[in-house]
Amino acid sequence: MRTLLEIKEIVIKIYGKYEVFIIPVLKFLLALVSLLAINSRLGYMRQVDNIGVVLIASLLCSFLPNGFILLFGAVFILLHLYALAIEVALVGLGVFLIMALVFFRFSPRDSLAVLFTPLCFFFKVPYVMPIAAGLLRTPASVVSVGCGVVVHYLISFVSENATSISALDESETVARLRLVIDALLGNRAMVVMIVAFAVTIIAVYLIRRMSIDYSWTIAIIAGVMLDAVILLIGDLVYNTNVSVLGILLGAVIAALLGKLLQFLVFNIDYNRTEKVQFEDDEYYYYVKAVPKLTVAAPEKTVKKINTQVSGRSHVQTRDPRAGEGRRPVAAGGRTVTVERTGSAPRGVSPRTQSGHTVTGSYRQEVKPVDTTKEITEDQIDDFEEL
Amino acid sequence: MLNEEKIILMTKLASYEGREGKKNGAVSGYFRSDYISLRVIESLVSAALAFVICFALYIFYYFEEFMENIYRMDLLAFAQTMLRFFLIWVAGYGLVSYVVYSVRYSRVKKQQKKYYNNLKKLAAMYEK
Repeated sequence: MRTLLEIKEIVIKIYGKYEVFIIPVLKFLLALVSLLAINSRLGYMRQVDNIGVVLIASLLCSFLPNGFILLFGAVFILLHLYALAIEVALVGLGVFLIMALVFFRFSPRDSLAVLFTPLCFFFKVPYVMPIAAGLLRTPASVVSVGCGVVVHYLISFVSENATSISALDESETVARLRLVIDALLGNRAMVVMIVAFAVTIIAVYLIRRMSIDYSWTIAIIAGVMLDAVILLIGDLVYNTNVSVLGILLGAVIAALLGKLLQFLVFNIDYNRTEKVQFEDDEYYYYVKAVPKLTVAAPEKTVKKINTQVSGRSHVQTRDPRAGEGRRPVAAGGRTVTVERTGSAPRGVSPRTQSGHTVTGSYRQEVKPVDTTKEITEDQIDDFEEL
Repeated sequence: MLNEEKIILMTKLASYEGREGKKNGAVSGYFRSDYISLRVIESLVSAALAFVICFALYIFYYFEEFMENIYRMDLLAFAQTMLRFFLIWVAGYGLVSYVVYSVRYSRVKKQQKKYYNNLKKLAAMYEK
């Protein structure tokens, strides 16, 4: 556990340091995976089903706002549907426009959930989505996740029935249109999935907000169980033909991924919970304070001893951020340099009056050392032992 | 000497300005009634467009039946039914929008108030 916490701290530190580069890379990867997934499921238009086009679109997404990943995804889907049949593309366009006009107005921040939901279906872990949305977002994400489920069922219907759609004569425009609309509106499995996901998101959100110990763990377990139960009941009542084993296995994977999310986002130590009670003029306060489970990132100490010809010796404590140009090396002397790296709080690097940067979660005062002071060999040995 | 309290306050302010601040600033520039009515009008336009899309898909879906019965059916009654659906849909959506944007405006105002209080605190620290 300690190792995992240390790794987490290191990851947070690296993320904080290179955020400017990491975010575009992540956006690029998300766009790349999404567009490749769309091409692999649909792939009817050759011009779009091309790695060069996908790479260019992903590169554009890496520096454009998040919504553009969604836009590119929708455009790719519509182009593939258009290549298959214009009627299917019309239905797809109608569905996307209705989503954009009616649903995304209220929760534009959750729009990425529309992308993640079909992606989770693609990677065979769909039940993670309601758990993650309930843990990380608000009940408003029900709308986005629901839209994502609709997009998934639209894509999977088209990819499974592409042959029968294209087999219909081109003059049978209405028949093609009816086929797709019937598949969407009459899809009981989709309705059951939307209801199950919506109930799960709300239940997970409500439980994890409760002032009880291990609320997140309880929310995850209750969420996956509720999800599985609703899907099984839906299967019994509406004969949705879902795989029972798939649901149970998916629930286990969702619970494990939920625990991983908990570790990354909400890792606290209930053993050190403090309950305090106090009052002011207007209220009584019953406060429950639960400390976060954190460890400092491992400290690395590097010692360099450069022995040079002359007998003069200098000792200097140097901050690694100070840069090479700031290390004074006395001509012809022996220099002992101690470099220390610590777990600096993100984004905060207060400077002392002497210009030395204080870093690290350890409370250590770095004092400037007179670099011209001569010291004896014994003092150097003592310093090395430190 | 570093003033921890001041740093915490400034970090909070900067974090708020970086995240919700810009958007909230635009919201709080409106009077409540102006903000809500503008957003509700936008929602009504969106709802109307969404209805038109649904209606177009409906017409396409029943295109053959329409073509067969176009001279026999009571077009006025059909138009009245559609208009009724349209009004119910648009009014319902407008009502939901009104509630959502009212809540949102109150929340933004509360956040802005907290932000200005923190700014005042910071100003008071500098005056000391």
